[in-house]
Amino acid sequence: MTTRRFIVEPRGLASARLTLAVPLIAVLLALVVGAVFLAVTGNNPWDVYVKMADTSFGSSRGISETLISATPLILTGVAAAVAFKMLVWNIGAEGQFLMGAVFAAGLGIALGDGTPSALAIPLVIIAGAIGGAFWASISAVPKVYLGTNEIITTLMLNFIALNFMNYLIFGSSSPWRDPLVPQFPSGRPIPESARIPEFFNRLDYGFIIAALLAVLAWFLISKTKWGFEVRVVGDSADTARYAGISVPRKFLGVFLMSGAFAGLAGSLYVAGPVGALDPRSLDLGLGFTGIIVAALARLNPVAVIPVAILMGALNNAGPALQSIQIPAATVTMLQGAILIFAVAGEFFIANRVRKPEKKPAGAPAAEGAGAA
Amino acid sequence: MNESTLILTLFAAIGLGTPLVFGTIGEIITERAGNLNLGVQGMMLVGAVAGFWATYNTESLLLGVIIAMIAGSLFSVIHAFASVTLRVSQIVSGLALTIFGTGLSSFLGEAGSEPLVGEPSKATFEPILEGGLADIPVIGPLIFGHDILVYISWLTVAAASFYLFRTRMGLSLRAVGEDPASAESAGVNVSRVRYIHIMIGGALSGIAGAYYSLALVPTWQNEPIGAAGWIAIALVILASWRPWRALFAAYLFGAAERVQFTLQTMGEPWSNVPSSLLAMLPFILAIIAMIVLTSGKRARFLGAPAALGLPYFREQR
Repeated sequence: MTTRRFIVEPRGLASARLTLAVPLIAVLLALVVGAVFLAVTGNNPWDVYVKMADTSFGSSRGISETLISATPLILTGVAAAVAFKMLVWNIGAEGQFLMGAVFAAGLGIALGDGTPSALAIPLVIIAGAIGGAFWASISAVPKVYLGTNEIITTLMLNFIALNFMNYLIFGSSSPWRDPLVPQFPSGRPIPESARIPEFFNRLDYGFIIAALLAVLAWFLISKTKWGFEVRVVGDSADTARYAGISVPRKFLGVFLMSGAFAGLAGSLYVAGPVGALDPRSLDLGLGFTGIIVAALARLNPVAVIPVAILMGALNNAGPALQSIQIPAATVTMLQGAILIFAVAGEFFIANRVRKPEKKPAGAPAAEGAGAA
Repeated sequence: MNESTLILTLFAAIGLGTPLVFGTIGEIITERAGNLNLGVQGMMLVGAVAGFWATYNTESLLLGVIIAMIAGSLFSVIHAFASVTLRVSQIVSGLALTIFGTGLSSFLGEAGSEPLVGEPSKATFEPILEGGLADIPVIGPLIFGHDILVYISWLTVAAASFYLFRTRMGLSLRAVGEDPASAESAGVNVSRVRYIHIMIGGALSGIAGAYYSLALVPTWQNEPIGAAGWIAIALVILASWRPWRALFAAYLFGAAERVQFTLQTMGEPWSNVPSSLLAMLPFILAIIAMIVLTSGKRARFLGAPAALGLPYFREQR
């Protein structure tokens, strides 16, 4: 740790090739780690990976299901990316996603069958954004005005949101609960007029909307004055203050925007494939997976789109694995390993590692040396 | 609520709080060295499955706990390497540890030709120190008749407090957490101190996990620890990084968890309160306590290590 076996130098601006190579290597290394655990438990990793690829990309139905799984991940990924870029540690996308779903399903049910789709669908989607931003505000306001640590409050709010959703469906006869099947608690279907239409198998336009919203987030952060000021705050709060930028206002804005994106993931999911406030389809850790998406996309909202498709493919493959006696948790394990290698990869993007003096290059510093 | 219900509730709160005691003490030690490890949930789950597996194969509780500690500790090295050696964000690195640990724990419980899932443990912790002094009113039934890990958790709290505040190593570790550059000038190896105390935190989280799989829910199921790892991280702040306060904070949260069962036994109208609402209680308690106790300048006053969460760049001094 302290002896100088390697020399580490800050790299300045990393090449585009490197920033693309490191996340790819992170995924490959995670697959290797997964293969080790699969082999140790008596399975053939190759068969498992082939099965996963075939399930998620091997047929037109597989591809559409993968994109359905990717849709909420694009938005929870953007939620984490915009927040983490500004050092807003919003770990609460999970809860904001669920509250977005609660708000969206609630409005959809309240509007009923009579509202025209051209009005109902946008309103339901926006309700999700409001739900997510509202849930984020419970952490954001104390953070900005009192300095309360947002990591803990956003985390705790995840569990409160989850229990609140469970209360609406399992613990009460709320309007969210389907009155037609009282013996089997489930969500009341939102009316067809508020559902987003499908265009490719079961895939609905929510996927297109999510991708456009990711581009919008990129535009807001990269191309507007507001985004420029936000980036200044993210780089250095002191510099921002000298420049006359209101740091608390920017912080609050980013926090609520992050919550709104997570909430949009919830509304697109209930107004799209799920169609009701169904805890079994919503409590999947999509908010946490968004953090993996953001990290692997290196906090770039546009790069989030392909990464979310990859993670969606993994999520989609999970249930199919059980049919060949492989635990669905294989997917979570792989995703966790991807995050670990993606995080470690940041070091190799930021730094150059080399052996001291004239020893040959290609130090055994794993991924970074190989990528350079 | 009559007296015996109260005592039963408090007794159960101590049991439910015990894994939180181990997890919180571990995270206090890690954070005192200046490292925030959000991987507690993952380390607990890895400890839970490793401890269950060891006891399942050896029928030895002692081996179960030891393997859980080793597993939690080795697992925490991933975070130590990423956050101390590679100096990437401690927050993201800890989250990565939690997500990987969650998946790994469920995977190991379900994989293989004879999966652990659904299997009862081959041995569980039994109450000790029953009878005799346990007849002392109120205090007796609360203190006696727990399993041995409860008493070990009390010793752990005492040992951690002594270690942090009364030993040379404890002084070094607090110095590393407050001002790593000065600590290094004084001859302390900052990286080594952080590695060691991240691993101690991992070992204690490992015991916490094993307490669930071997004592509280001694049948293997996926994610048997609920949200204990996350609550432990909140408790560190509520306990203001002090071991003895952590003990009582953990029991408070144990009681909040227990309330739902107590209300069920109290009959109408109490038993009508939906369990999903009561399940929110510990989390609401944590948020309110966070806002009241730690806002603004008070957080520093409470004793947060000054260098907590910051990577240490030796070259850039």
